[in-house]
Amino acid sequence: MLELMDLTKTFKHTEAVKNVNMFIEKGEIVGLLGPNGAGKSTAISMLSSLVEPTSGDVRFRNKSMIKNPQSLREVLGLVPQEIALYEDLTALENLKFFGRIYGLKGQQLQNKIEEVLDQIGLYERRKEVVKTFSGGMKRRLNIGVAMLHNPEIMIMDEPTVGIDPQSRNYILETVKRLNEEKQMTVIYTSHYMEEVEFLCDRIYIMDKGNLIASGTKDEIKQILSSENSISIKADRWNDEFIKRLQDIPTIQRMKVEEKEITIVVPKDLNMFAAVAKIADESKLELRSIDIKAPTLEDVFLHLTGRALRD
Amino acid sequence: MAGILFAKIRSFIRNPWTFLLFTAMSIGFAILIGSSGNFNTIQVPVTGSEAVQESPIGDALKENKVYNFVWKSEEDMLEQVETGKAEAGVMVQEEDYQVVIGVDSANSQLVEQTIKEIYMDVLQQEKLYAAMKATTATEKQAIQDKLDTAKENPVFSIQQASFRSDDAFIYDTASHSLFGFTLFFVIYTIAYTVLPILLEKKEGIWDRMILSPLKKWEMYVANLLYSFVIGYIQVLVIFFIFRYWVGVDFNGRFIETLLVLIPYVFSIVSLSIFITALVKNTQQFNTVLPILAVSMAMIGGAYWPIEIVENEILLFLAKFNPLTFGMEVLNGVAVYDYSFDELLLPISILFFMGVLLMGIGIHLMERRHI
Ligand SMILES: Nc1ncnc2c1ncn2[C@@H]1O[C@H](COP(=O)(O)OP(=O)(O)O)[C@@H](O)[C@H]1O
Ligand SMILES: [Mg+2]
Repeated sequence: MLELMDLTKTFKHTEAVKNVNMFIEKGEIVGLLGPNGAGKSTAISMLSSLVEPTSGDVRFRNKSMIKNPQSLREVLGLVPQEIALYEDLTALENLKFFGRIYGLKGQQLQNKIEEVLDQIGLYERRKEVVKTFSGGMKRRLNIGVAMLHNPEIMIMDEPTVGIDPQSRNYILETVKRLNEEKQMTVIYTSHYMEEVEFLCDRIYIMDKGNLIASGTKDEIKQILSSENSISIKADRWNDEFIKRLQDIPTIQRMKVEEKEITIVVPKDLNMFAAVAKIADESKLELRSIDIKAPTLEDVFLHLTGRALRD
Repeated sequence: MAGILFAKIRSFIRNPWTFLLFTAMSIGFAILIGSSGNFNTIQVPVTGSEAVQESPIGDALKENKVYNFVWKSEEDMLEQVETGKAEAGVMVQEEDYQVVIGVDSANSQLVEQTIKEIYMDVLQQEKLYAAMKATTATEKQAIQDKLDTAKENPVFSIQQASFRSDDAFIYDTASHSLFGFTLFFVIYTIAYTVLPILLEKKEGIWDRMILSPLKKWEMYVANLLYSFVIGYIQVLVIFFIFRYWVGVDFNGRFIETLLVLIPYVFSIVSLSIFITALVKNTQQFNTVLPILAVSMAMIGGAYWPIEIVENEILLFLAKFNPLTFGMEVLNGVAVYDYSFDELLLPISILFFMGVLLMGIGIHLMERRHI
């Protein structure tokens, strides 16, 4: 239905998006995962006809949208990465304003606004000025405003950044419900792999302007089929332990966190004994050693050698 | 389009503080500075012999509207200047003069210039009488009348682009500071209604509108119309207060005074969109704006009359400054009693600047990626 073909965007000094190909089918929730600066926002700005690509094409129902994006714009709902609302107006006034610019009016507008307020759980607070809202409430309204004209395709750019876990869950549930009840197609960008893992049928992973992986969740995890992630936990680390782990040649990658070290090793290798021995010799008390089911985070680590949120 | 305007106005009503602040500042400064030193009441001590006092020079000094020249003994005059009671004093002879300057201020420069002009006028006239061999008062009067008619109906009519060529320059501090501070502070009010465009673009409000059936031109017209209205309301409020509360009568041409503010406000809206398109972010805007506004005010003669500026570079720069022409049309209507023809040029220049800056500003705004 919607396709990005060899899409490239070069700003003065940065190649923000390099030769990206994607497709989105009707009714899907597609995730676009990548760390900050990966080029996600630029990619979806091109997709929604807001930024002209340096080269490549955006095709919607087999027609190019570069010169004539009207048919795409009509069915698009956009949730920008920032809070794109009038902060001095109330929730209701914002909804009215954005509804009217889509030509809604009268009873129809009224009904739609009430429906949206219910969906985003802000009915009680509708007469309050947005400035006084919490981060989560602003984010919810930011989404609500994009729903007024019943878009077929919803593009959401990191819609949960910087909010509390309840609000985040609420938003994730709302997105899922919209998809299930209204068959809304959703393109969801995030740098939180849990969100993408929870929501999305298919996933694209971007890094430094490049698409580095794509497929269903399982397909992507298959990338790691020849490897195991092993999680080592302790209350604290000491230098000797880390140093000696690093010296083991069969450990392909290693990520050190405060209370957990993740190492990636070939699947058929048994590392338990070796790790336990090193811990013992460097006088470190371990809490546990486990084999982890691979996560998207691990895939990202595998592909780039870096953690997603670095 | 009306929707954007309403949304903006509603936001404004909830948050009118910038507007109120700058309106109050204009009024406050205009009253404070305007009443602190009205030149009409300023006395300038003059020394000279009895003969000079009775001469045409003496008459011209007496008739001068800008200053109150008071005859003093030389010692008294010097003492007044030395002790700072007077900013300047003058010693006059029949064909020559000396200005004693105590404080090198706008005022003392103006005194010097006034005296210079008086001498040039009087001496010129004397030479004329001599050439025409006029000796009696009636003969002189006849020549004077002819001269006046000739001046009013010149063989070559030259449009005046600016006051600077005008010899009789009247400086009225009260209205000058009112005009100056109004034109100065409204730059801030307007600029701060244009700046949100940058934020709205960055946050994505504009993206939302672009995706909607709204047209681009509607977005610009609504936003800029709003800025214009807010700016114009501010100057209206200030001028109405001065007209009906303070009692300034604007030369009996109050409505025209209000009308000639329109091209100025328009040019400042355009200037604001131009700056907004150029700056990288709000901080830069906040840095650039005061620098620009203050230099415009200084160069354009909002703080002191531009007539006393002699530096060629400043005078050249003044020609590119909307504020110069804003002061000119206001003074033109309310002080110099210009005809419409004489106002047409500065008004056209303001409109031209407005269209140009807006064209470039919107173009740059559209080209930038945010
Ligand atoms: N308007 C712009 N001008 C210049 N560089 C930009 C612009 N927008 C984005 N970039 C650069 O392009 C890269 C990708 O940015 P972005 O698409 O915002 O990434 P993401 O959304 O994944 O965090 C970054 O390096 C960013 O600095
Ligand atoms: Mg982004």
